[in-house]
Amino acid sequence: MQEAALREPSPAGRGEAIQPMLETLNQGSTPLSRITHDASIDFGPSLRVERFLLGNGLRVLILEDHHAPVISLQTWFGVGSRHEVRGKTGLAHLFEHLMFGETENVPPGVFDRTLEEAGAETNAATSLDWTFYHTNLPREALESALRLEAERMTRLILRDPQVASEKEVVSNERRQRVDDDVDGAVNELLYKEAFREHAYGWPTIGWMEDISAFNTADCLDFYRAYYAPNNAILVIVGDTTCAHALRLIQQHYGARAPSVIPVEDVRPEPRQVDERQVTVKKPTVTHKLAIGYKSPALGDFDHAPLVLLNEILFCGRSSRVHRALVQEQEIVSEVRGWVGSFRDEGLYDLYLAARGERTSAEVLEALDVLLDQVRREPVLPSELDRAKARLELSLLQGMETTSGKAEQIGFYETVLGDPGALFQRLAAYQRVTLGDLLRVARRYLLPSTRTVVHVAPSGELPPDEGEEDDDDDGDNDAQPGADGADGADGDGDGDDGDDGDDALTAEEQIH
Amino acid sequence: MSSTPIFVESSRALPLVSAVVAFRSGAGHDPAGREGLARITARMLRRGAEGYTAARIEETTDSLGGELSVDVGFSASSVHLEVIKRSLDPFAGLGATVLSRPTFEVRELERLLREAEAEIIESQDLDQVLCSRAFRRTLFTSHPYGRPSEGTVRTLRTITGDDVRAFYRQHYTRRNAVVAISGDVDQHEAQDLVARILADLPEGTPATDPIPPPLQRPGRHLVFVDKPERTQAQLIVGSLGTDAHDADHVPLLIANTVLGGTFSSRLMQEIRVKRGWSYGAYSHVSYDRHRDAFSVGSSPAANDASACLKLTLEMLQAFIERGVTEDEFEFAKRYLIRSHAFDIDTARKRVHQSLVEALLDMPVGYHESYVARLEAATLAEANAAIHTRLSFDNLVLSVVGTHADIGQAIQDVIPGLSSVEVLPPGFDQM
Repeated sequence: MQEAALREPSPAGRGEAIQPMLETLNQGSTPLSRITHDASIDFGPSLRVERFLLGNGLRVLILEDHHAPVISLQTWFGVGSRHEVRGKTGLAHLFEHLMFGETENVPPGVFDRTLEEAGAETNAATSLDWTFYHTNLPREALESALRLEAERMTRLILRDPQVASEKEVVSNERRQRVDDDVDGAVNELLYKEAFREHAYGWPTIGWMEDISAFNTADCLDFYRAYYAPNNAILVIVGDTTCAHALRLIQQHYGARAPSVIPVEDVRPEPRQVDERQVTVKKPTVTHKLAIGYKSPALGDFDHAPLVLLNEILFCGRSSRVHRALVQEQEIVSEVRGWVGSFRDEGLYDLYLAARGERTSAEVLEALDVLLDQVRREPVLPSELDRAKARLELSLLQGMETTSGKAEQIGFYETVLGDPGALFQRLAAYQRVTLGDLLRVARRYLLPSTRTVVHVAPSGELPPDEGEEDDDDDGDNDAQPGADGADGADGDGDGDDGDDGDDALTAEEQIH
Repeated sequence: MSSTPIFVESSRALPLVSAVVAFRSGAGHDPAGREGLARITARMLRRGAEGYTAARIEETTDSLGGELSVDVGFSASSVHLEVIKRSLDPFAGLGATVLSRPTFEVRELERLLREAEAEIIESQDLDQVLCSRAFRRTLFTSHPYGRPSEGTVRTLRTITGDDVRAFYRQHYTRRNAVVAISGDVDQHEAQDLVARILADLPEGTPATDPIPPPLQRPGRHLVFVDKPERTQAQLIVGSLGTDAHDADHVPLLIANTVLGGTFSSRLMQEIRVKRGWSYGAYSHVSYDRHRDAFSVGSSPAANDASACLKLTLEMLQAFIERGVTEDEFEFAKRYLIRSHAFDIDTARKRVHQSLVEALLDMPVGYHESYVARLEAATLAEANAAIHTRLSFDNLVLSVVGTHADIGQAIQDVIPGLSSVEVLPPGFDQM
């Protein structure tokens, strides 16, 4: 089997071929279906992503990749839980489930059945800033996949029984991911406490009472507001050509009208000036500790250095926190750290599982010593070099499949407006200095801007404690705030590696 | 190095090189009472080698842009090495040292055993993991497939440095190894790489498989893991499944796809789409060197758990007694044939198929002939396979939930139960 490469020039990257192709495609086109070439954008050292625009506002990003006879087709919508309002949380995610239902020309169940019969795998994910739908398909199935995607973008039919049934599914998903899962529940609480104004404070999956209260009208309003070609990015990576893909896109999307997308109404998070601490009881065997420091937005200059600092502190067995707390002091069994990758300022969230009878307070005390150290003095040059190499490896590993490339293209186009931003980040990592790390440690690892969740096993706390007891609250202004969701890097011998930054945090697995 | 099967898939797509050095010995070789030994032995490779402390191994790996990990199943122990191409030479040197000259230092072993113990305790938080462990324990009973490959707190405490060294000496040999290389190397480079990594391993002998074929446990057996405050239940129902050598292996895979292998499958449609009872509903037929499990799983709300289990049993009975229809069968076949493109779309996946085939003694050409065998399978073969391999009378039902809330209701929907066992979440710790 042939393998193409990050190293080989994409045929579509040869710009001179594009204009004649468009002239042919645009013969007889309507204003809505007319295609223009917006840019050729570097994607790594030699590949180029071609960005096209349809007259109706649909953005199309194509990367030809002829490794294998497969294609990854993704549709990224500029809507996530940040676009919801209190009382209607979880709507973006519920809606994502509903998008696999009936449309004007596709009866219930036929969407999945058609794609499965073609050998395709399809799914979706919702996060704070976006929602995306992805299908990995044999190249022969591109036309039927595009037909189905275009159909559901504007011709979805919503009926009460389907909405009711899907609410049940989402409620069960929530039980699985949050209510009966210590990690999930703690993460949700961490963001709730850290963000009191900004939409990042509520969970993407939504509060259970909100999920229960949705009706069909809520879903229809949401659909009409956000699902339109001018709020979507189509990403195609794989064994096709620009000309072929664009002809199909023009055919299936060219008649879809744009709509007026609501003005975003996100409230900046007031600056946190005091540490927030919460203690909860959970049916778990050991104490846990979750900490969220307010952290920069993905597009911020400080984001890359903070990601590197996280590598040095939390990622892999040679990281400082793992070495000190897991290996030397033996007071925790698991450590994770993740810098939120969001459009607005977010959380640098940390998670530690105490070992044996150790309490979260003991773990916090030991962790603070290590965090204080990186605020006081530079890390070693060798630590920074290792962190850079780890992130480079992680980036390369993420590029192995067509879907891996498509996710990076779609994510960075959606959040930063640049499909090749991943590689710019790699370059930014290489430029980071010891001084940069010292600066971000001092700027972001501040007790006054952190939220701490202590988890004690059920039954261990006296009755007057527990259950979300805030103390040392504090609000007050500024640091437009940020986001939330999982993240990680554990380690352990079985599965070391990975982590890194660009985590596409999401709710969802099976639709 | 001819004693070691070597598989190579070159790809210039990325400047990455991946090597998997696998040994035909895994948790199935753990002596009784020393469960966890194979895994501990593999993990100890990262905890010190000639000229390297544990910390230096990790630092060197990271600084080279490499990744070093181990994986232990019932039938194999694998060491995974992956690195950015520019560092291949020094990383190969590290890999060779780690594989061939581990120090098995006592302090590191003691530290690792304490870590592993803490991980086992921590895993009580994971309901799906508990459900699966309880299922396998009840299905396979004393057979090695029913034992936790990570061991238990009790068995970990019995493992000594001598045990680890003995396991290593016996199993980490060239004649017991299978190697898969993929990525940015040509055949010649790959052969050199393997020669270098394996150079200092002893020739040894291929390990014999100590695991006997598992036997189906007769009757219906319920195991309930009782955890407090569960709003949801985890359910697994199943029995023994397929062996890759079975003549009806591929027909059974197709039949399973109809039952619970896709979003359009019977289970997903009835349990999730029509009733909204569970986020996921699936069925699996897994295989190892011997016949492994067939399982059906879902995660309903506590209030729906007994109804969901009752429906699952009804569907299973219908599946076993009446088989699948022509339409369902043809649909599943087309899905499996066409989606096969994603089994082989990267060099890593392609070489992994060859590795697994050799490691698990699967029929020669299993993967190469897979699509042809799918195409050749008939509806009659699929329905015969269901009748031959599955029985509604012989089932294990594993549930994680709060017993006081749903225990009786669960028991009430299972006809003809042969046994009921209620376990605490730490059931496999000691």
